[in-house]
Amino acid sequence: MRSRKQAVVVAAAVCGSLALAACGGGGPSAAGGKLSNDKVVFGLLNDQSGVYKDLSGPNSKVAIQMAIDDYKAKYGAKAVAKTIEIVTADHQNKPDIANTKAQEMYDRQNVDVILDVPTSSAALAVANVAKAKKKLFIDITAGTTELTGKSCNKYTYAWAYDTAMLAKGTGAAVVKNGGKSWSIVYPDYAFGQNMNKSFTEAVTGAGGTVQQSIPTPFPNDNFATFITKAASTNPQVIGIMAAGGDLINFVKQYNQAGMQSKAQLAVGLMFITDIHSLGVDQFAGTTFTDPWYWNFDAQNKAWADKFQAKTGTRPSFAHAGNYSAAMNYLEAVQAAGTDNADAVIKALDGKKINDVFLRNGEVRSDHRVVHDVYLAKVKTKDQVKEAWDYEQIVQTIPAADAFEPISADCKM
Amino acid sequence: MTHPLQNSTNSSRSPEPDAAGPLRDGRHSPLRWVMLAVGLIAALALPWFIYPPVAMDIAAWALFAISVDLLLGYTGLLSFGHAAFWGSSSYVTGLVAIHWGVPFPLAILGGMVFAMAIAVPIGYLSVRRTGIYFAMVTLAFGQMIYFVANQLSDLTGGENGLQALPKNFFGVSSVETDAFSFYYAAIGLILLGIWAAWRIVHSPFGRVLVAIRDNPARARALGYDVDHYKIIVFVLSAGLAGLAGGVFAISHGFTSLEELNWTTSGKVVLITVLGGIGTLWGGPLGAAIVITLEDRLASSGFEGTGIILGSIFVLIVLLFRHGIWGTARDLLQRRRDARKGPVD
Amino acid sequence: MSAFIQYTVQGLAGGGFYAMAALGLAVIFGVLGVVNFSHGACYMLGAVAAAVLLDVLHVHFWVALAVVPVLLFLVGVLMERLLIRWLLRLDPLYNFLLTFGLSLILVDLVKRRYGVSGLPYERPAGLAGQLHIGSIGLPAYSVFVWLFSLLICGIVWLLLTKTRVGMIVRASTEDAERTRALGINVGRWVTPVFGFGIALAGLAGVMAAPFRAITADMGSNFVIILFAVVVIGGLGSILGAVVAGFLVGLVEAYGQAYAPTFAQVAIFVLMAGVVLFRPAGLFGRDESA
Repeated sequence: MRSRKQAVVVAAAVCGSLALAACGGGGPSAAGGKLSNDKVVFGLLNDQSGVYKDLSGPNSKVAIQMAIDDYKAKYGAKAVAKTIEIVTADHQNKPDIANTKAQEMYDRQNVDVILDVPTSSAALAVANVAKAKKKLFIDITAGTTELTGKSCNKYTYAWAYDTAMLAKGTGAAVVKNGGKSWSIVYPDYAFGQNMNKSFTEAVTGAGGTVQQSIPTPFPNDNFATFITKAASTNPQVIGIMAAGGDLINFVKQYNQAGMQSKAQLAVGLMFITDIHSLGVDQFAGTTFTDPWYWNFDAQNKAWADKFQAKTGTRPSFAHAGNYSAAMNYLEAVQAAGTDNADAVIKALDGKKINDVFLRNGEVRSDHRVVHDVYLAKVKTKDQVKEAWDYEQIVQTIPAADAFEPISADCKM
Repeated sequence: MTHPLQNSTNSSRSPEPDAAGPLRDGRHSPLRWVMLAVGLIAALALPWFIYPPVAMDIAAWALFAISVDLLLGYTGLLSFGHAAFWGSSSYVTGLVAIHWGVPFPLAILGGMVFAMAIAVPIGYLSVRRTGIYFAMVTLAFGQMIYFVANQLSDLTGGENGLQALPKNFFGVSSVETDAFSFYYAAIGLILLGIWAAWRIVHSPFGRVLVAIRDNPARARALGYDVDHYKIIVFVLSAGLAGLAGGVFAISHGFTSLEELNWTTSGKVVLITVLGGIGTLWGGPLGAAIVITLEDRLASSGFEGTGIILGSIFVLIVLLFRHGIWGTARDLLQRRRDARKGPVD
Repeated sequence: MSAFIQYTVQGLAGGGFYAMAALGLAVIFGVLGVVNFSHGACYMLGAVAAAVLLDVLHVHFWVALAVVPVLLFLVGVLMERLLIRWLLRLDPLYNFLLTFGLSLILVDLVKRRYGVSGLPYERPAGLAGQLHIGSIGLPAYSVFVWLFSLLICGIVWLLLTKTRVGMIVRASTEDAERTRALGINVGRWVTPVFGFGIALAGLAGVMAAPFRAITADMGSNFVIILFAVVVIGGLGSILGAVVAGFLVGLVEAYGQAYAPTFAQVAIFVLMAGVVLFRPAGLFGRDESA
């Protein structure tokens, strides 16, 4: 009968497609000796195609590989980790994809430590997965203080920066350099509200005044009215807490309104890639805090040259941060003799680190890595000597001053 | 006047298959029961073949797509803002789960009720327009909900999302820790939702919906309060979308503003049209394809997910308007008719 | 008071983008019955084209204002000939979905080619700084955008009222079947009108290039506001699109100035109000279901 034949065809099709879908599944992991599966596997989970692609993206894999090569060169035959692999996935800045990919990395791809994860909502999701799976997660590129606050756990580290440090850095330093009266423009969502709060505290704590705090919608591409409002009290400094595309919108319109000559622009969160995309002259004179700058000293430049040879571009703090995290993870594995998460954590906690990325660095008990950071001013076009040479480091902010003390919300 | 998703007389395509299935011949054909059985087996066997969290995603999006199809395929209304119900339910489900610690099916019920509650005013306002206007109005309302949720960041966590949602299932710990077990705990809810959609479609109410889709003026002339019916199906559809969204949130253990964004509304429409509108199988099929495709692309480092999905979508709308399932069904139907010979 | 005037000018400038783009959308809908979801992507393409032309060929803003709309016109013609026309006989929902898929493709293509960080664009010479009228300082660029968009809308209005094509467009917008019944060959104007609508979106994009971040996603939120604009103005009404565009720009500006937390929602609340009390839009004709 025809319907039975059709039924068989349909059933075969369904089973066939299920079987096809099964391709790509991983087998169960073999119980290893000292190293799980006899190898160390890094999981690079970041944005490979979206807004953070240039900031970290695929080039972070190169940075991690550089760490692997340096580790192997350093320890040679005595290296505990002889086989080291990197798997990558693109979370497209979507927390649900980050969540699923993180689980998959730990469960099926034998990943021992996940690195990077920009976008705060994604990072928080991965932190929870790390806690559930009892495996390591070192965040480089997301800035939420919640990673070492409410959502802290012993398997999660914040390696590079957080939003509170940005406020403390830029806010206090600019006031000390003479910018005492501020108007703050901030996007009205959790990040912006936190930045506004942190900056207000930092500025007033350093002896300055915040004349107005102006909320803007988020996302937003039209800042004209807010710029007018901010300028109306004639502040010395205008602090803008927008980031990414919104920041670029703001700066374009800010310059359009002729504000560059009227007030100093301080940016809450900015990356060297923002300067590159908008152009140095639009950002000229702007002050911000950078966790790391490639052209700061000879050690950084040497590493940046090696990076450039492999990728054709200069590294951002995220690339250097991934290198540093990977390298220090491998050192911890070396010291512990195993990649077992708890043993590695013991080897990392409290460690004092000085490498290309971390100066006067220390892994704190809340798993926040504190280190020196830098107050940077964007150069004018004629000061730029080569591509990416955009920053003039005004001041080094020492680790002790840069970061907030341990949060009471963090209960590990 | 052309009606949504039906070909006009100028077209050379065969007439739209009667989407109200077995009512045509008054009995359930054996093929239908076999297909239902196969579908059930596929749903239960899925986590053996596909990574369980991804399998759960497929199931949740399948129900979400079915909820959209209820409006699109059976009532002729394209909702482009359905993420409002999926997403808001995901938040309410999460908040209930966190603050009241109840087993997750109850939390999801709370999310469903909330989604249906906000669907009443949105539906009331939206059904005053039809066709393309309805799509634009629902799109705009969806964005409004997104912005409101962003504003209420103390409650929703704003752009950080709502984190650490518990998977409480009457104290069964394997459900809480193992995604495989969770799938089996949750799939029952999804199947319940699909069954509810099936019952809606194959009921007198469902027949009125099809009548409204095909000729609203005639339905009105026959005495049916067309707007009334539309609002009811809108609210029911929102409830199913809410059910799916709640399951999704608990499965992932968190939810974020992404689930309220218009891009999510667009994705479910894409899944629905790809799978086939006016058929309850289209949703699961479309979801399986799109979710696994996205999953593979994310691991492979390929950059052009939008290009691929967009191209598939353009092709489907241009050439295979009834979606994959509908086109397959048309081909089988045509072959069956051809073998039957000329109409006697 | 001076702040209010500044906000008004800024609102009219912001509204100018909406008005121009909505005008394109309304013209396309009027003649083709197509609601072009890719209008935002075309706006984005206009801005990207301006940036690329500047970078590669050193074409400055003033020249780009003329060149880019022509390029976008061609893009529109291609879109219509290759894709849109096959679905014109069907319900507008099909072309709505088609253009949605198209927008996904266009955005991703731009992302792949130019990345996501945004393209740089220089401030156009002559439009920097402020104009001082009495004691009030207005950014010169805002005034320019406002006046230029008014000019464009005015020119289009003249085209619509004084030329034969324009008459066909208006007649077709009001009653397509009767227009055809009168023996007017609307068909041969379909492609150029579509191209013209896309060109208007591209023109808005060029205007935005010095003013807004040029990213692949810049059109995505723009198109949703655009939909709210045409629902408020009435989709079948060309005048409605322009008036609603400026109105929405003003609502945005005043909302941002006086009630920033509600600014984004305000436009949708306005739309909800219009749908409730005047479902056909402020200028629209009442259409039966």
